Amino acid sequence: MNLPLEFDIIGIKACQRNRHPLLFVDRVFDVIPGEKASGLKCFTYNEWFFPAHFDDEPNVPGFIQVESLVQTFIMSFLSNDDLRGKKTNFLSIDNVKFKRKILPGDTLMIRATLKSFRRGIATGCAVSFVGDAPACSADFVVAVPDVLDQFKPKGGL
Amino acid sequence: MNNTEKYKILFKESFQYDGDVEQLIYQAIPEWDSVGHMQLMAALEDSFGIELDVDDIIDFSSFKKGIAILSKYKVMFEP
Repeated sequence: MNLPLEFDIIGIKACQRNRHPLLFVDRVFDVIPGEKASGLKCFTYNEWFFPAHFDDEPNVPGFIQVESLVQTFIMSFLSNDDLRGKKTNFLSIDNVKFKRKILPGDTLMIRATLKSFRRGIATGCAVSFVGDAPACSADFVVAVPDVLDQFKPKGGL
Repeated sequence: MNNTEKYKILFKESFQYDGDVEQLIYQAIPEWDSVGHMQLMAALEDSFGIELDVDDIIDFSSFKKGIAILSKYKVMFEP
Protein backbone atom coordinates (compact mmCIF):
# COMPACT_ATOMS: atom_id res chain seq x y z
CA MET A 1 0.00 0.00 0.00
CA ASN A 2 1.50 3.35 -1.08
CA LEU A 3 0.75 6.05 1.45
CA PRO A 4 -0.85 8.52 1.47
CA LEU A 5 -3.89 7.09 -0.33
CA GLU A 6 -6.12 8.91 -2.82
CA PHE A 7 -9.69 8.15 -3.80
CA ASP A 8 -11.72 9.35 -6.77
CA ILE A 9 -15.52 9.23 -6.61
CA ILE A 10 -15.60 5.51 -7.44
CA GLY A 11 -13.10 4.81 -4.68
CA ILE A 12 -15.04 6.97 -2.22
CA LYS A 13 -18.23 5.02 -3.01
CA ALA A 14 -16.35 1.77 -2.45
CA CYS A 15 -15.39 2.95 1.05
CA GLN A 16 -18.55 4.64 2.29
CA ARG A 17 -22.27 4.10 1.73
CA ASN A 18 -23.40 7.69 1.12
CA ARG A 19 -24.83 8.19 -2.35
CA HIS A 20 -26.23 10.98 -4.53
CA PRO A 21 -28.03 13.20 -3.60
CA LEU A 22 -26.39 12.94 -0.18
CA LEU A 23 -22.76 12.36 -1.13
CA PHE A 24 -20.85 15.57 -0.51
CA VAL A 25 -17.20 14.87 -1.19
CA ASP A 26 -15.77 14.60 -4.73
CA ARG A 27 -12.20 13.56 -4.11
CA VAL A 28 -10.30 12.34 -1.06
CA PHE A 29 -6.51 12.47 -0.75
CA ASP A 30 -3.64 12.59 1.72
CA VAL A 31 -5.23 9.63 3.50
CA ILE A 32 -3.32 7.78 6.18
CA PRO A 33 -5.77 5.07 7.33
CA GLY A 34 -6.28 5.33 11.05
CA GLU A 35 -4.89 8.88 11.14
CA LYS A 36 -6.24 11.45 8.69
CA ALA A 37 -7.93 12.30 5.40
CA SER A 38 -8.40 15.38 3.23
CA GLY A 39 -11.28 16.01 0.86
CA LEU A 40 -12.50 18.33 -1.88
CA LYS A 41 -16.08 19.24 -2.65
CA CYS A 42 -16.86 21.49 -5.63
CA PHE A 43 -20.22 23.24 -5.39
CA THR A 44 -21.83 24.32 -8.66
CA TYR A 45 -25.23 25.92 -9.12
CA ASN A 46 -26.43 22.56 -10.46
CA GLU A 47 -26.57 21.24 -6.87
CA TRP A 48 -30.16 20.29 -6.04
CA PHE A 49 -30.39 22.52 -2.97
CA PHE A 50 -29.27 25.88 -4.38
CA PRO A 51 -32.61 26.85 -5.95
CA ALA A 52 -34.30 26.21 -2.59
CA HIS A 53 -31.60 27.68 -0.30
CA PHE A 54 -32.22 30.44 -1.34
CA ASP A 55 -33.65 31.51 -4.68
CA ASP A 56 -32.37 35.07 -4.20
CA GLU A 57 -29.15 34.18 -2.33
CA PRO A 58 -27.92 30.66 -3.10
CA ASN A 59 -25.56 29.22 -0.47
CA VAL A 60 -24.75 25.78 0.93
CA PRO A 61 -26.98 24.77 3.88
CA GLY A 62 -25.14 24.17 7.14
CA PHE A 63 -26.13 20.50 7.40
CA ILE A 64 -24.56 19.86 4.00
CA GLN A 65 -21.33 21.55 5.08
CA VAL A 66 -21.30 19.27 8.15
CA GLU A 67 -21.92 16.25 5.88
CA SER A 68 -18.93 17.25 3.74
CA LEU A 69 -16.81 17.36 6.87
CA VAL A 70 -17.95 14.03 8.26
CA GLN A 71 -17.86 12.23 4.91
CA THR A 72 -14.20 13.20 4.66
CA PHE A 73 -13.65 12.28 8.31
CA ILE A 74 -15.05 8.75 7.91
CA MET A 75 -12.58 8.13 5.07
CA SER A 76 -9.83 8.30 7.70
CA PHE A 77 -10.95 4.87 8.96
CA LEU A 78 -13.20 3.42 6.21
CA SER A 79 -10.07 3.47 4.03
CA ASN A 80 -8.84 0.55 6.14
CA ASP A 81 -9.35 -2.68 4.18
CA ASP A 82 -11.32 -4.35 6.97
CA LEU A 83 -13.79 -1.43 7.27
CA ARG A 84 -14.40 -0.57 3.61
CA GLY A 85 -18.05 -0.32 2.64
CA LYS A 86 -19.41 -0.34 6.17
CA LYS A 87 -22.27 1.95 7.20
CA THR A 88 -21.71 4.65 9.82
CA ASN A 89 -23.94 6.51 12.27
CA PHE A 90 -23.47 9.81 14.05
CA LEU A 91 -23.16 9.54 17.82
CA SER A 92 -22.42 13.19 18.43
CA ILE A 93 -21.47 16.43 16.72
CA ASP A 94 -19.93 19.16 18.87
CA ASN A 95 -18.34 22.57 18.51
CA VAL A 96 -19.80 23.21 15.06
CA LYS A 97 -18.67 26.58 13.75
CA PHE A 98 -19.57 28.30 10.49
CA LYS A 99 -17.26 31.10 9.46
CA ARG A 100 -18.50 32.06 5.99
CA LYS A 101 -21.11 31.33 3.36
CA ILE A 102 -20.29 28.72 0.74
CA LEU A 103 -21.46 29.93 -2.65
CA PRO A 104 -21.95 28.40 -6.11
CA GLY A 105 -18.49 28.10 -7.64
CA ASP A 106 -16.73 27.59 -4.30
CA THR A 107 -14.49 24.59 -3.67
CA LEU A 108 -14.42 23.35 -0.12
CA MET A 109 -11.11 21.88 1.11
CA ILE A 110 -11.56 19.65 4.14
CA ARG A 111 -8.95 18.31 6.53
CA ALA A 112 -10.03 15.61 8.95
CA THR A 113 -8.14 14.03 11.83
CA LEU A 114 -8.98 10.75 13.52
CA LYS A 115 -8.15 10.96 17.22
CA SER A 116 -9.15 7.42 18.10
CA PHE A 117 -10.90 4.38 16.68
CA ARG A 118 -11.82 1.93 19.36
CA ARG A 119 -14.19 -1.02 18.94
CA GLY A 120 -16.32 0.67 16.30
CA ILE A 121 -16.36 4.17 17.76
CA ALA A 122 -14.40 6.86 15.93
CA THR A 123 -13.58 10.21 17.51
CA GLY A 124 -12.09 13.14 15.65
CA CYS A 125 -12.51 16.51 14.02
CA ALA A 126 -12.56 18.24 10.67
CA VAL A 127 -11.99 21.77 9.43
CA SER A 128 -12.75 23.24 6.01
CA PHE A 129 -11.57 26.18 3.95
CA VAL A 130 -12.49 28.06 0.79
CA GLY A 131 -9.10 29.09 -0.50
CA ASP A 132 -7.32 30.20 2.66
CA ALA A 133 -10.49 31.35 4.40
CA PRO A 134 -11.84 29.11 7.19
CA ALA A 135 -15.35 27.87 6.35
CA CYS A 136 -16.61 25.45 9.00
CA SER A 137 -15.35 23.00 11.59
CA ALA A 138 -16.72 20.37 13.95
CA ASP A 139 -15.84 17.53 16.32
CA PHE A 140 -17.38 14.13 15.64
CA VAL A 141 -18.09 10.83 17.30
CA VAL A 142 -19.18 8.26 14.72
CA ALA A 143 -20.09 4.60 15.15
CA VAL A 144 -19.58 1.67 12.82
CA PRO A 145 -22.53 -0.50 13.94
CA ASP A 146 -21.18 -3.69 12.34
CA VAL A 147 -18.07 -3.42 14.49
CA LEU A 148 -19.82 -2.13 17.59
CA ASP A 149 -22.24 -5.06 17.54
CA GLN A 150 -19.37 -7.52 17.85
CA PHE A 151 -18.75 -6.25 21.37
CA LYS A 152 -22.31 -6.18 22.71
CA PRO A 153 -22.79 -8.11 25.96
CA LYS A 154 -24.58 -11.41 25.56
CA GLY A 155 -26.32 -11.08 28.94
CA GLY A 156 -28.53 -8.31 30.26
CA LEU A 157 -32.24 -7.68 29.83
CA MET B 1 -10.18 6.91 46.37
CA ASN B 2 -10.25 3.11 46.41
CA ASN B 3 -11.07 0.92 43.39
CA THR B 4 -14.64 0.23 44.51
CA GLU B 5 -15.40 3.95 44.64
CA LYS B 6 -13.63 4.54 41.36
CA TYR B 7 -15.59 1.71 39.71
CA LYS B 8 -18.92 3.16 40.90
CA ILE B 9 -18.03 6.63 39.70
CA LEU B 10 -17.10 5.29 36.25
CA PHE B 11 -20.56 3.72 35.96
CA LYS B 12 -22.26 6.92 37.09
CA GLU B 13 -20.24 9.10 34.72
CA SER B 14 -20.44 6.79 31.72
CA PHE B 15 -24.22 6.54 31.96
CA GLN B 16 -24.97 9.90 33.60
CA TYR B 17 -26.86 7.85 36.18
CA ASP B 18 -27.43 8.74 39.83
CA GLY B 19 -29.28 5.58 40.91
CA ASP B 20 -27.98 2.42 42.57
CA VAL B 21 -25.29 1.29 40.14
CA GLU B 22 -24.65 -1.95 42.05
CA GLN B 23 -27.91 -3.38 40.68
CA LEU B 24 -27.29 -2.35 37.07
CA ILE B 25 -27.32 -4.88 34.28
CA TYR B 26 -26.85 -4.31 30.55
CA GLN B 27 -29.86 -2.55 28.98
CA ALA B 28 -31.54 -2.02 32.38
CA ILE B 29 -31.35 1.72 31.67
CA PRO B 30 -31.45 3.37 28.23
CA GLU B 31 -27.94 4.75 28.70
CA TRP B 32 -26.41 1.26 29.00
CA ASP B 33 -26.86 0.34 25.36
CA SER B 34 -24.17 -0.85 22.95
CA VAL B 35 -22.71 2.65 22.65
CA GLY B 36 -22.82 3.24 26.40
CA HIS B 37 -21.16 -0.14 26.88
CA MET B 38 -18.20 0.91 24.72
CA GLN B 39 -17.93 4.19 26.62
CA LEU B 40 -17.87 2.27 29.92
CA MET B 41 -15.25 -0.19 28.63
CA ALA B 42 -13.03 2.65 27.39
CA ALA B 43 -13.41 4.49 30.71
CA LEU B 44 -12.49 1.35 32.67
CA GLU B 45 -9.45 0.69 30.49
CA ASP B 46 -8.22 4.28 30.79
CA SER B 47 -8.89 4.52 34.50
CA PHE B 48 -7.40 1.16 35.54
CA GLY B 49 -4.65 1.08 32.88
CA ILE B 50 -5.77 -2.25 31.40
CA GLU B 51 -6.80 -3.62 28.00
CA LEU B 52 -9.89 -5.81 28.10
CA ASP B 53 -10.15 -8.93 25.94
CA VAL B 54 -13.06 -9.18 23.52
CA ASP B 55 -14.56 -12.12 25.42
CA ASP B 56 -14.51 -10.13 28.65
CA ILE B 57 -16.18 -7.12 27.00
CA ILE B 58 -18.97 -9.39 25.75
CA ASP B 59 -19.23 -11.07 29.14
CA PHE B 60 -19.40 -7.75 31.02
CA SER B 61 -23.18 -7.70 31.40
CA SER B 62 -23.66 -6.30 34.89
CA PHE B 63 -22.01 -4.23 37.60
CA LYS B 64 -21.39 -7.36 39.67
CA LYS B 65 -20.05 -9.41 36.78
CA GLY B 66 -17.68 -6.57 35.98
CA ILE B 67 -16.04 -6.89 39.38
CA ALA B 68 -15.24 -10.56 38.72
CA ILE B 69 -13.92 -9.75 35.25
CA LEU B 70 -11.72 -6.89 36.42
CA SER B 71 -10.20 -9.08 39.14
CA LYS B 72 -8.67 -11.14 36.30
CA TYR B 73 -6.74 -8.00 35.38
CA LYS B 74 -5.49 -7.63 38.96
CA VAL B 75 -7.91 -4.81 39.72
CA MET B 76 -8.72 -5.56 43.35
CA PHE B 77 -11.92 -4.42 45.03
CA GLU B 78 -12.23 -3.65 48.71
CA PRO B 79 -15.03 -5.51 50.52
